[in-house]
Amino acid sequence: MKKTNHSLNLNRRNFLRGLGACLALPAFESVSPLLKAHAATGAGLATTATGAPLRTAFLYFPNGAIPAAWWPEGGEKDFKLGRTLEPLNAYRDQLQVLGGLDHSNADPGPDGGGDHARGNSTFLTGVRLNKSATDLRAGISIDQAIAREVGHLTRFPSLELTCDAIRKNGACDSGYSCAYQYNVSWSSPTTPMTPEANPRLVFERLFGTGNPGERASNLKRRQQEQRSILDFVLDDAQQMQQRLSSQDQGKLDQYLTGVREIETRIQKAERFGDIKDPNIVTPTGIPQVYSEHMDLMVDMLVLAFQTDSTRVATLLLAHDGSNRSFDEIGIAEGHHDLSHHQNRADWIEKVTQIDVWYAQQFAKFLQKLRDTKDVDGNSLLHNSMIVYGGGNADGNRHTHDNLPVILAGGGGGGLTPGRFVKHGGQPMTNMFLSLADRMGARSMDRFGDSTGRLSNV
Amino acid sequence: MAPLFSQWLSSPAPGSARRALARIYLSLALAVTTCTTSVIAADAKSEKQFNETIKPLLQEYCYECHGDGMDKGKVTFDEFGSHDALMDDRKLWLSVLKHVRSDIMPPEKKPRPTTEQKAVLENWIKHDVFALNEADPDPGRVTVRRLNRVEYRNTIRDLMGIEYDTQSEFPPDDTGHGFDNISDVLTISPMLLEKYLEAAKVIVDRAVPVVPKVVPENKIPGEQFARVGETVDDKKSGSLSLSYYEATTVSNNFKVTIPGKYSVVLNFSANERFVDNMFDYNKSEFIFTVDGEELHKQTYVRQGGKSFQFVFDREWQTGDHPITLQVRPLTPDEKQIRSLSFRVEGVTLRGPYDEKHWVRPARYERFFTRETPEQPAEREAYASELLRDFANKAFRRPVDDKTVERLAGLAESIYTQPGKTFEAGIAKAMTAVLASPRFLFREESLAQEPPDARYPYVDEYALATRLSYFLWASMPDYELFRLAREGKLRAELKPQVERMMKDWKADAFIRNFVGQWLHARDIESVIINARAVLAREDKPDPEAEKLRARFRELRNKPEASLTAEEKAEFEKIRGSFGRMFRAPRADLTYDLRFAMRRETEMHFEYVVQQNRSLLELLSSDYTFLNEKLAKHYGMTNVMGDNMRLVNLPAGSPRGGLLTQGTVLAVTSNPTRTSPVKRGLFILENVLGTPPPPPPPDIPALEEAAKENKEKLSLRETLELHRGKPLCSSCHNRMDPLGLAFENFNAMGMWREAEGDEAVDVAGKLISGESFTKVQELKEILVNERRHDFYHCLTEKMLTYALGRGLEYYDLDTVDGLVARLEKDGGHASTLIMGVIESVPFQKSRRLQTAQNNNNGSPQPAQRRAELKVKP
Repeated sequence: MKKTNHSLNLNRRNFLRGLGACLALPAFESVSPLLKAHAATGAGLATTATGAPLRTAFLYFPNGAIPAAWWPEGGEKDFKLGRTLEPLNAYRDQLQVLGGLDHSNADPGPDGGGDHARGNSTFLTGVRLNKSATDLRAGISIDQAIAREVGHLTRFPSLELTCDAIRKNGACDSGYSCAYQYNVSWSSPTTPMTPEANPRLVFERLFGTGNPGERASNLKRRQQEQRSILDFVLDDAQQMQQRLSSQDQGKLDQYLTGVREIETRIQKAERFGDIKDPNIVTPTGIPQVYSEHMDLMVDMLVLAFQTDSTRVATLLLAHDGSNRSFDEIGIAEGHHDLSHHQNRADWIEKVTQIDVWYAQQFAKFLQKLRDTKDVDGNSLLHNSMIVYGGGNADGNRHTHDNLPVILAGGGGGGLTPGRFVKHGGQPMTNMFLSLADRMGARSMDRFGDSTGRLSNV
Repeated sequence: MAPLFSQWLSSPAPGSARRALARIYLSLALAVTTCTTSVIAADAKSEKQFNETIKPLLQEYCYECHGDGMDKGKVTFDEFGSHDALMDDRKLWLSVLKHVRSDIMPPEKKPRPTTEQKAVLENWIKHDVFALNEADPDPGRVTVRRLNRVEYRNTIRDLMGIEYDTQSEFPPDDTGHGFDNISDVLTISPMLLEKYLEAAKVIVDRAVPVVPKVVPENKIPGEQFARVGETVDDKKSGSLSLSYYEATTVSNNFKVTIPGKYSVVLNFSANERFVDNMFDYNKSEFIFTVDGEELHKQTYVRQGGKSFQFVFDREWQTGDHPITLQVRPLTPDEKQIRSLSFRVEGVTLRGPYDEKHWVRPARYERFFTRETPEQPAEREAYASELLRDFANKAFRRPVDDKTVERLAGLAESIYTQPGKTFEAGIAKAMTAVLASPRFLFREESLAQEPPDARYPYVDEYALATRLSYFLWASMPDYELFRLAREGKLRAELKPQVERMMKDWKADAFIRNFVGQWLHARDIESVIINARAVLAREDKPDPEAEKLRARFRELRNKPEASLTAEEKAEFEKIRGSFGRMFRAPRADLTYDLRFAMRRETEMHFEYVVQQNRSLLELLSSDYTFLNEKLAKHYGMTNVMGDNMRLVNLPAGSPRGGLLTQGTVLAVTSNPTRTSPVKRGLFILENVLGTPPPPPPPDIPALEEAAKENKEKLSLRETLELHRGKPLCSSCHNRMDPLGLAFENFNAMGMWREAEGDEAVDVAGKLISGESFTKVQELKEILVNERRHDFYHCLTEKMLTYALGRGLEYYDLDTVDGLVARLEKDGGHASTLIMGVIESVPFQKSRRLQTAQNNNNGSPQPAQRRAELKVKP
């Protein structure tokens, strides 16, 4: 029987090798020379000039923002933040307000209604979504495209989080599958990266279960136990693949991609050594109060970055079209209902208050990043590129040009923050390519509907 | 690209895209047709037939808006590039069929085709455009389906005998067509796979014992402790609550039959009901006595819900051993504020510790059938036997020898390690089974006979699985497996379905189907602001309005800039608000929301289980209530928390799902009703005729409302809205339906007026029927629009049963089921049995695998050509 096990292992390796080609995962062996090459020039793969990790995160807020209150006044450097972004004033020198970035693939075009579904899943993909309740076709999202190239550097190629835990029943936006509306991150056109809403589960995934001090060994034991299980299920999957139709292959590919990722993580665990346990008590489940939920999720992001568990992350604050009410600030009506304000002053005021509220939560995230010291002595904020934005500009009219978006952080010196830059009607994806370049993910000539790169970030 | 039923009214692709598509189809058609002249002849015949029988109908009834240069709603019938292009626009023709059937088109004021003419058109669409073959319908194919988190949980319950809370451990499943079991959208992200691996491990750790024997354990639950002279129902197994303020002594007796070493474990917590800013300084003594000896005696103050556990070792002889719990209040004069209490979970008795008296651990017999053999070869055989049986169940079909061998190998690699038990090895292999794609996905095979079937039946195991996940949202049970193994399930379908519906597991069907079809699940999370809802019904009070405005004005000023008078005024207004901050007179509490959900579920369950007419779902003279819900509905004759069937007084506006709290609340906005949402809900879920999505630039249309200076009522705003031609076509359909329910506020309570204006619910449906109150609308729905409702419910149930969206080739299946319902008065069993007996539930297209390329579904153009060649 020992022999059987041995042959299983061989099987697995052969299988994975075959798999690697068809799934287009990063080639592992070629990484370290690349890293050395970059290190030599000082511009590494997801690494700053000082050798610290460079991170990027994408935070999505729903239903656009009242434009008049969002946009700053003044010029590139002497701008004054508007009412909505006022809470970010303390970080004014560490962020850029980006004007004139569009997502024309989120426009109705031939597809008619569904601006929330499109706003949501076009935001990081820049492609036109297939309008269907079941036939999912989006595109790979920028975080995943970057993770493909830099993900091997950390234990987790990327992290997907959400503060939207409850889903409504029934159809979603205008004939689009709900998957478009609850996911911003896509690892392939057909596979959304389901985000995690429960802070406890995020924490346990990152650092293991149990009490501080026990987690690393718990995680290690768990991973060792998983090896023989993975052998078995891979063999099963391989057999199953023979029997399934081509239509079903996609589903099995998703399964295999997941297995492959866990395999890789186990290998990495050996290379990276022990996990840095943050030595805090594991958070409990999802808090009742929305702002507390967001605080916790943002804490998880900061922890993940600080411990260099990942360098790429997304956080969906709420799905586009979210009709959440904001009892915390005395707004009983639903956000989405209010966003179609019919130009009524009282409604516009309430939407603005919600926009401000979201900006305040974002400010807390920036504060934590700024107050956390990175390995090179700079702040985490200095060594990050944080995008905060939404896929609708004016929620009332469902426009997708001049989208509200902020790029915070110094990019490890690679960005020039402290500015209000009007990019004059370029695809949002141009900005994404510029970020990807800085992350060292330079293999992309184009992304989504990109027409080039932003010259001035 | 096939049209989806639930989207059937969305406007077709605009001209250019449609023509481009037509060109592709045309070239495909050409590629096929050049081979045979008979096809060309058939094409010519098809065109002739269209021109002679169909075109005149379209010209007479449709061209006024959809031809001769008119393209209302972007629909035209005379601008196709070719006859083939016209024939291939299935989306358009499905939409035509639905519009004409449900009397939406032609509109009421225009001439409408006769019944015979409708039949001609319908027949042509079904047989010529869709090329449906009634003799051997296309069953379609479901992409291999993964278990959703409800199915996973239930399957684990039935397979392993434990509950695993997938609701909190797994992310929500994506939905399509309103259901969470649609295979195409059930994806697996790397994170989910990780969770599946983790879950497999956790579940096996909890369920499968890894030692053959353990110390015996007996638990005496708190509720089994009795006061002197009291007798206790021996079925009670809950905790016992003992007040701090009341002297109490309760006891139980433990009979020891084997003398030896035991331990006694006491578990309790000290609780309180929170009262804001008020404290309770009472103290009480808790005394625990065994065999007359005080083992624990301690004073407790308020402890904030803390749990306590104490363990005592005992050397026990045969005979009775009395165990007593005593509470002695210490502060009789202190005021009782927070209702402090001990909650005794129970006393657990472990022992005897002597190994020769050890027993099987819980669930041991579930996974292990006999004593573990000593000989390695026998062990291996036993392991294979256990694991084969387990994998057969978990994979829902017989597994091959190779799989069993691999599992046994995995088990052996563990149990041959020093210090590891045989059971631990089996557990390890079971973990692998639960992580396997064969467990997570429902793989199906086809029946072998008859070998030349174009559309074969799925095999008996697949049928058992389809049945059990449809009716139980879980795996097949022993009986279903037995019948499948013997090849008798299909022959005994009817008694099996009846048996399954009687099983408690059929609750899952009721809950999941109705919870999603009518969004009844959402009642537990829907955000409704009771104060704002109720304020709309209060008479307007201009004085209070003024005060509130002034209050907001002052509050928004920086405190430093306020004058002394302003500060005083601010405080004065704040003081006068006392009543405003009091709890509203009604609210959607957790209990009430739960009762509402149960009302909807019980109603559906009653109709299904009593095999009543499905029309009673819309209109009935009964509903299901408890005291809280009845009061909420304004009824006083129901007492207690127990939900039960309640007969409604004659003429009651309640009765039927549409006037239940669930539907009324989930279709509302947080602060008010939404007639548009309610209308849309009925169109989508009752009539099956959803309007197309709203145009992208709505606010521009709402300028109309803004121009109007005076304050408009909701009805007036909607009327203004409908006045716009672009809005009217859809809002004429939604608004009257929704406004009919305006007597029910956003929490489902009855009201006569909003503000000082009486509610006006009268209206007229787009199909022509008028009503003056909601009772009359319900009558219209179950009479004139009955057919639409049957259609809609059939489509929803079929979608749920199949796990895929419906396609044009399902038309005959749906029509057949509706015809059966019409014929027998709409009995629930007719629909459920009909769905199970339907072609798409019973059969499948052949698989297109690496080895087998016989696809049952040719390309559209090919298919039509093929069928046309037939004599």
